[in-house]
Amino acid sequence: MEDRNKKVAGGRRDFIRAGLGLAGGIALPGLSSHAWAADQAPIGTWPAGVKGNSVFIGIAVPRTGTYAVQGEDELKGWQLAVEHLNSGHPLIKQISPKSKKGGVLGKEVKIGVADSAAKPNNAVQAEQGFITQNHAMLMTGSTSSAVAVALNKLAQREKVLYVTGISGSNDTTGKDCVRYGFRQCFYGQTAAAAIGPVIVKAYGKNKKAAYLTPDYTYGHTVTKSCQDYLATAGWTTVTNQVAPLGAPDYSSYLLNVANSGADVLINVNWGHDAVLSTQQAQRFGILDKMKLVIPYQIPFLAPEVGNNLTAGVYAATDFWWTLQDQYPLAKMFVQEFEKKFGYKPEWGANNAYMSFALWAEAVENAGTFYPPDVIKSFEAGRKIQSTVGEVYFRKEDHQLVRPVFIVQGKKQSEMKGKEDFWTVLETVPGLPLMQKPDAFGCNLGDYT
Amino acid sequence: MISWSNFLSQLINGLALGALLALISSGLTIIYGTLGVLNLAHGAMFMIGGYAGFAAYQATGSFLVAVVAGSLAVMVLGIVMERVIIRHFYSRPHEDQILVTFGLGIVFVEAIRRIFGSESRLVPAPASMSGIVDLGFMMYPTYRLVLVGIVAVALLALYIVLYRTRLGMIVRAGIEDPVMVDSLGINVYRVFMVVFGIGAMAAGFSGIINAPVVSLTPEVGEAILVQTFVVVVIGGVGSFPGAVLGGLIAGEIVSITSMFNPGYAYVMLFAAMTLVLMIRPRGLFGAIGRE
Amino acid sequence: MMNSSPRRRPPYLAEIVTAVALIAAPFVLPYLGSAPNTVNRILVWGLFGIGFDLLFGYTGLLSFGQSALYGTGGMVAAYLLTRAGFPHVITALVIGTVAAAVVGWLVGLVALRRTGIYFAMITVAIAEVFYFVEFNPLADWTGGENGLPGVPTPTIDLGFTKLSFTTGWSLYPFLAFCYFIGIVIALRIVRSPVGAVLRAIRENPLRATAVGHNIHAYKLSAFVIAAAYAGLAGGLLGVLQAFMPPEAFTFDTSGQLVMQTVIGGRGTLFGPLVGAGVWLFLQDFLQNSMHLGAAWKLVLGLIFVILVCFLRDGIVGGLRDLWRWMRRSRTVAEAPQEAAPVEAVPPPGPTAKALRARRAASTSTTSGPILQATGLTKRYGGVVANSGIDFSVERGEIRGIIGPNGAGKSTFFKMLTCEVPPTSGKIMFGGRDITGLGVTDVCQLGLTKSYQVNQLFNRLTVGENVTIAALAALRGKFRLDLLRNIAKVPGLEDQVENTLARVGLTARREVPVSQLAYGEKRRLEIGLALASSPDLLLLDEPLAGMSPRERVETVKLLKSVAAGRTMIVIDHDMDAIFELAQRITVLQEGRVLVEGTPEEIRANAKVQEAYLGGVHIEGHA
Repeated sequence: MEDRNKKVAGGRRDFIRAGLGLAGGIALPGLSSHAWAADQAPIGTWPAGVKGNSVFIGIAVPRTGTYAVQGEDELKGWQLAVEHLNSGHPLIKQISPKSKKGGVLGKEVKIGVADSAAKPNNAVQAEQGFITQNHAMLMTGSTSSAVAVALNKLAQREKVLYVTGISGSNDTTGKDCVRYGFRQCFYGQTAAAAIGPVIVKAYGKNKKAAYLTPDYTYGHTVTKSCQDYLATAGWTTVTNQVAPLGAPDYSSYLLNVANSGADVLINVNWGHDAVLSTQQAQRFGILDKMKLVIPYQIPFLAPEVGNNLTAGVYAATDFWWTLQDQYPLAKMFVQEFEKKFGYKPEWGANNAYMSFALWAEAVENAGTFYPPDVIKSFEAGRKIQSTVGEVYFRKEDHQLVRPVFIVQGKKQSEMKGKEDFWTVLETVPGLPLMQKPDAFGCNLGDYT
Repeated sequence: MISWSNFLSQLINGLALGALLALISSGLTIIYGTLGVLNLAHGAMFMIGGYAGFAAYQATGSFLVAVVAGSLAVMVLGIVMERVIIRHFYSRPHEDQILVTFGLGIVFVEAIRRIFGSESRLVPAPASMSGIVDLGFMMYPTYRLVLVGIVAVALLALYIVLYRTRLGMIVRAGIEDPVMVDSLGINVYRVFMVVFGIGAMAAGFSGIINAPVVSLTPEVGEAILVQTFVVVVIGGVGSFPGAVLGGLIAGEIVSITSMFNPGYAYVMLFAAMTLVLMIRPRGLFGAIGRE
Repeated sequence: MMNSSPRRRPPYLAEIVTAVALIAAPFVLPYLGSAPNTVNRILVWGLFGIGFDLLFGYTGLLSFGQSALYGTGGMVAAYLLTRAGFPHVITALVIGTVAAAVVGWLVGLVALRRTGIYFAMITVAIAEVFYFVEFNPLADWTGGENGLPGVPTPTIDLGFTKLSFTTGWSLYPFLAFCYFIGIVIALRIVRSPVGAVLRAIRENPLRATAVGHNIHAYKLSAFVIAAAYAGLAGGLLGVLQAFMPPEAFTFDTSGQLVMQTVIGGRGTLFGPLVGAGVWLFLQDFLQNSMHLGAAWKLVLGLIFVILVCFLRDGIVGGLRDLWRWMRRSRTVAEAPQEAAPVEAVPPPGPTAKALRARRAASTSTTSGPILQATGLTKRYGGVVANSGIDFSVERGEIRGIIGPNGAGKSTFFKMLTCEVPPTSGKIMFGGRDITGLGVTDVCQLGLTKSYQVNQLFNRLTVGENVTIAALAALRGKFRLDLLRNIAKVPGLEDQVENTLARVGLTARREVPVSQLAYGEKRRLEIGLALASSPDLLLLDEPLAGMSPRERVETVKLLKSVAAGRTMIVIDHDMDAIFELAQRITVLQEGRVLVEGTPEEIRANAKVQEAYLGGVHIEGHA
C-alpha cells in the first residue's frame, strides 16, 4: 500500500499553513489604514492621488459597439476640457472663475481612456484599474445608463467621485443615485416633460402612440416618462415594442408597429439602434403613415439616417450648436471645438466638456480634492455660467438644473450648411420639468 | 397585435428569415453530415461573405460582382481551412474538432474587426430591387421579397448539384457511409474538401445577399450560428431536405412568436431545439444513430 | 494521476506548492507589474475553471454553457446581498454556490441525455437561453442590463478581531483562500475512485459502462460539481467588482473559459489558472504596451488555435510532458513486438473470491444452466440478424460459437450482454431474467465480455485500466466517494495485482496502453473483462489478429482463466476452439445450425457445407 496513507495529517497541516498565510496577508500594507496626523483620514484615492503634481481622471467610453460614434464625440469633449484646464483657457475661466492656468488647484490634469463598448462590466473593470493603478481622483464615462448606474455604485463603494457622461435614465439620479455621483445632462423625465407639450400642440390630443424601446433602464424610464406625460393629454399607447440593445433586425417589431394603427411613432432607441430602426421603419412604410418623435435626441442621427427621414421630426436635446447665437459661452465652445476637431460638436461633447468644467469649479471652490468637501461644494447650489446659461446642482439628487431644448429636423432645402440639421424651436427651463427630489426614490449615501 | 394583417405580414417576414436560414443551414448540415465536424466557424464565414462582398462593392460599385466575390472568397477560405487544418482533426476526438473550429471562428471575426473596424458597414441593395412593395395589407421592403427568390434559386442550384450530378451523388454517399466510399476507391479527402467548399460557399453567399437587409458588423455571424444549430437539429443532421424544412419551420417559429413578443422569438427557437433533442434526436429527416 | 508508482512522489506536493505560490504572490507579483485587480480576477477565473476542467479535462464533456451556472450563482449571491439586504457575505456566497449546483443538476438532467457534438450544441443553447431569461423576464431580480450593483465585500468577525477585505491586495487573501480550498477539494476528487471513473468516461464511455459503472450518474455528478465551482466563482466576481454584471451569462464568457482552459492545459486543474493569467496578461499587454487596441483578441484566438493543433494539453500539460520526458530518459520503454509469454498463472486472490462469494449469495438458484436464452430474435428494420435462437450453457462449461461471416455471432453476444435489446425472446442468467436490463447491471450481476475490437482506456496505463474495471465490482455501479483516496479502497490493490498476474501483464503495469504490443492489448482486453471476477465470461474473437505463438499463449491463458467459471468463446480459429471448448454451437444466417462436441462438429456435413460449400474442413480457418 502507499506510504501516503501515513501522511494523512499532512493535509491538515496545509490548512493551518494556509490560515497563517491568511493572517500574514492581512499584515500587508494597504489593508490597514494608518492613523494620520492630519484631521482627515485617507478616503478613496485621497490623498494618494494628489501627492504628485498631477491629478488623474479615468474615462470609460464606448469606442466599439452600438454607441461608438457617440462615444468618440464625447471623448473629444473631455479632451478639449482637459486641454483648456491645463492651459487656463478663458472659456474655463468663465465657467469656473477660480480656475488658473496649470490644471486644477495647480495640478496638471491627466486622463486614461478605456473602451467600455457600452457594457457595465468593461467599464467597471477599467475604472477599478484606474483607481488602483493610477489613483484616479475622478471617474467619468457612460453612454449607456447601465454603465452610469454601475459606475455610480462603484464610486460610492470606492469613495471616488464620478460624473456621468451621457445618461438618460431616470434612475441615475433616481433610485440608483449616490452621494459620489453627479449628472450634468438632461434625462427621461425632463425630456418627456419638455417635448410632451410640443407634440400635443403639433399633433393634437387623444392620439395613439407606438413606442420602440431599447430593453434597459434608459429605454424603460424614458418610455414611462413619455407615457405618463402624454396620458395627461389623453394619449394612449397602442403598442410598446421592446428590443434588445444592438438588435440587427427590427422587422418583427416594426411589423407589429405597422399593424398597430398608431398615429405617432416614438422611437426611444439610441445610437446605432436608432439609425437602424428608423431606416427600417421607413422601408416598412411606417414613416409614411405615422409621425416620428425622438424624445431623447441622438448625436449624429440626422447625417447617419439621412436628413430626409429627420425632416420635420421633433426631438428633445441637451445642446445644439446653433445655440451659439443664444449663449456667448456656447459660441466660444463651438468655435474652440470646431477649430480643434474640424466639425461642430454634438451634445455628447458639450456634456463632457461641461461636466469636467463643473468639477473643476467645485474643486476650486472647495480648495481641496478631499472628496467630502468637493461633494459639499457641488451641493452648495452656486449658480454657474455654462454653455446653456445659468445652471446649478440640486443637492437632493445631484442632478444639474439646466434647460432642455426642443429641436425640429430641417428639410434639405432649408439647410444653410452641411451640419445645419436642426432648428432650435424652444428653450425650456429645467426646474419645472424636474420631478420632486424624492419622487424617484433617491437616497444619497454617506459622505465617508 | 393579433390581427390577420399582422399575422400574414409576420408570416411573410418569417419566410424571408427562414429561407435564409435554410440556405446557411444546408451548408452546415452537409459539412456535419459528411465530415462529422460541427463547423463553429460557420457564422463567421457567413459574416466574411458579407465583408468580402462589401469590399468588392466598394471597388466596383456592382452588387453582382459583390455577390460573386463574397461567395467565392468564402469558398476558397473553406477549402483552405479544410486542407490546412480540419483535415488533421478527423482522427481526433469530436471535442478537439469543435475547439478548433470555434477558435477559427474567433480568429475570423477578430481579423475582420482589425481590417474593417467595428462600425457597421452598409451594402445597399441594387436600385432595381430596392424600394417598398405595397401588398395591400402591408408594406414590405422589396429587397426582402427578392431575397426569398434569390435563396430559392440558390437552394434549387444546390439541390441539382447534390441530387443530379455525379459529384453530388458521391457527396451524399459520403454522408451515409464515408468508409464505404473510401473502399470504393474514391478519394474521400477530395470529397471532404469539396463538401467543405460547398458548405462554406453557401454561408458566404448568404452573408452577402443578406447584407442589404441588416448592416454588416463583425458580430453578425454569431447569432446566425446558433440559429443554424437549431435548424440542423430540427431538420436532421446531414439532410438537405431537413435543412430546408427546418429553416422554414425556424423562420415561422420566430415570426409567430414575434406577433406576441419579438423579444422571445429566439428563446422559442432554443426551446424547440431542446424539445426535438429530447423527443426525436435525429430530427425530421436525419438518420438514426447519428450523434 | 492515480498513482501507484514505485517512484515515491511526495504526498500533497501540489497542495503545498499551491499554498506557497499563493502566499508569495502578493510579494512577488507587484515587481512584475501585476495589478492586484488583475490577480484577483485571475483567481476567480481559475476557480471557475477548476470545475470546468473536472467536467471537460477529466470527464471529456465539452460544455459551452458554464456561464449559465456562473451567472446563476453570482446573481443569487448578489441579489441576497444587495436587494434582499442579507448581511453575511460568506453565507450568501455559499447559498449562491448551492443554488448553482441545484440549477446545474436540473440542466444536467436535460443536457446529458446526449453526448459529444449534440451535448455541446445543447450547452450553447442553454447559455443563450439563460442569458435571455436573466435579462428579460427575471430583470426584477437580476437588474437586467444594469446588473446588480453595490455588492459588498466580506468581513469576518473572529471575536477578538475583525478581518475586513476591501479591494485590491486587501481582497486577495480572501480570494486566494477560496481558490486554495477549491484546489484542495478538486485534487482529492481527482485522486478518488470517482476521479478514476471520470477519466474512464473520457477515454471510452462505452467500456466504462460495460465494466459496470453507471456513467450517466457520474457525468451528472461532474456536471453538478462544475456548476458549484462556477456558482462560487460567480459570487466572488460580484464581490470583486462591487457589481454583478449580466455579461457573466453570455456565451462569450463560456467561450473565454473554454479558451483559457485549453490554453492553460486541460486535465491539469491548474490549467485554467495559467490560462486566465495568460489571457488577462496578454489582454493588458497587447492593448496598452503594444497599442494593438482591439486586436488583442485576434492574437489570443491565434494562440488558441495553434495550441489546439499542436499542444493539445496546453501550457501546463506541455510542461508536464516535458518533465516526464526528461525523467523517463533513465528508464527505457520500447513497445515490444510481441507479448511476453505468460508465466505460471496464479490462482484467484482473496478479493476475487470474496466478489464471487458475494454474488453467489445473492443469486436465486445455483443449479441448472447458468445461462438460458429462449427464442432470441433481433431484427434491424428488414434485416434479421438473429432468429429464434435457443441457447443454454451449464455452469463451468466452456462453450464455443462458430459460424461463417454474417452468421450473427456478434449480434448474439450483444444481446447476451444486454448491449442491444432483443426484438423478442428471453434471457435467463443464474435463474434471473435479464432481458432488457442494461449492460452495466448485467456486468454487476457477473456477466462480462471482452470485445472483438479492443475497447481500452487508451491514454491510461495498464494498471489504471484494470483498476477501473475492478472499482465497479468493488463499489457497485455508482458511489459518490469523492473525497476518498483511491489507494484506500479495500481489496482494490489485491484484485488489480491478481488480475494483471492472471493475464501476464504485471511487468507492464505502468505502461500506457498506446505503447503496448497488439497481443498485450488483447490480453488487457481480457483482463478488463476479468477484473470484476465474473461468473460468466464472454469472449468475442479473443485471438483476432494474433501471431501463431501468441495464439498458443492465449489459449493457455484462456484455459487457466476458465477455471472455476463459465466461458463462451467466439472465434474463427478452429484449432483453438476445438482445443478449448467442451461444446460448440454453430450459427448460420442468424440461426443455430447444430450443437455438439468438437468431434461431432468437425465431422458434421452441414457445418462443412455452411463454411465452404461442401469441402472438408481442415486446419485453421
